[in-house]
Amino acid sequence: MSAFYPDSAAANGLALCHACGRVERVTLARCPRCDARLHLRNPASLQRTLALTFSAILLYFPANMLPILKVESISGAQANTIVGGVIQFWQSADYPVAIIIFTASVMIPILKIIALLWLCLAARLGRHPLAMTRLYRITELVGRWSMVDVFVVAILVAVVQLGSVISIHPGPAALSFASVVILTMLAAISFDPRLIWDAAAQGEAPHA
Amino acid sequence: MRPSGSSKHLACPDCDALFEAPVLKEGEQVLCPQCHALLFHYRRNSLHRASALTIAAGFLFLVANFFPFMTLRAGYRENQMVLSQSVSGLEAQGSPYLGAAVAIFTLVAPTLIIGGLIYLLLPLVASSRRLPGSIPLCRWVYRMRRWNMVEVFLLGALVSLLKLGKLATLTLGISFWAFVGLIICLTAALASIDYRELWARLENAQR
Ligand SMILES: [Zn+2]
Repeated sequence: MSAFYPDSAAANGLALCHACGRVERVTLARCPRCDARLHLRNPASLQRTLALTFSAILLYFPANMLPILKVESISGAQANTIVGGVIQFWQSADYPVAIIIFTASVMIPILKIIALLWLCLAARLGRHPLAMTRLYRITELVGRWSMVDVFVVAILVAVVQLGSVISIHPGPAALSFASVVILTMLAAISFDPRLIWDAAAQGEAPHA
Repeated sequence: MRPSGSSKHLACPDCDALFEAPVLKEGEQVLCPQCHALLFHYRRNSLHRASALTIAAGFLFLVANFFPFMTLRAGYRENQMVLSQSVSGLEAQGSPYLGAAVAIFTLVAPTLIIGGLIYLLLPLVASSRRLPGSIPLCRWVYRMRRWNMVEVFLLGALVSLLKLGKLATLTLGISFWAFVGLIICLTAALASIDYRELWARLENAQR
């Protein structure tokens, strides 16, 4: 199927154990030190990454269109979407909070989904492997910070229990949004950046 | 000559470059020659420092879970929140799955990492021993590290403070400050572990 680039560990029949970092012959099937399965490349990496990313895209719509938070007070009920929350902070001149929420809840998920699709493309085309590997590392690092809005909902629901005065309920978008973050994290974990280097080497040398 | 499997060789997890492990001095790092990924940071006795930091993190985690996190005052009403209510509150409001997710990221993952590291590191540091189940546990601790989101939760707490600050008076409890300390200790502990040393010592440890 896919060829490993020359001089790589895989081309020498050696697999890096993803759990303990030992380099072993892949024919052993399991790492002799920690018993994890040995793979030359993550199994079905691109299929899994794409499937998880597309699921995240589908859930991204309800996550942004439905309310994430419902507030009931004497002055009436109010439902907030993610973007609505950002606008509210901005209008009340809480610019740093507005920027934090906008970055974590709007920018990072969109950029992460674009980055994942781009990485899958790079794993086929093999262009700019160094830059793409860097993009992969950033994608893996920042994804978790998107969860901040879900924690805000959890804390507000817990702390605001003032009986009839005011009550706060989680909206349906909260679960969709948490799923988007979890799915993109799983997609980043499934992606194997070594495929980019394999594809890059195939692009350089004509097929033998 | 085809290289064979041995601890002399290193492979980069990001680009699969294969090279021989260099001999390192204290504080030196190994970067991948091809993609510049940071592979190892060699620190002698990294496990000693990590075990001290993990015990401190474990103590702070207990404090954080058994004392009030924040108190909300609005008029004559007062409501104290403990950390676990961020999970039970969601469940009570009809969002059990969301509650379960928050529980995994802020309770289960940190408990597994802190408890797991104490179970692994103390016998290793004290007497070069490993307790039963150490090998699979070490794999789990390593796998759980990205699902531990205590620092993201803290950012969420700060945003909540600002969001509610105008409606009511909020005071921070002991648990909040213990939680800040927990994040500092746990981040430092995880950063100071040299996984190569950890696995090598686990492998050679007496049972
Ligand atoms: Zn590399």
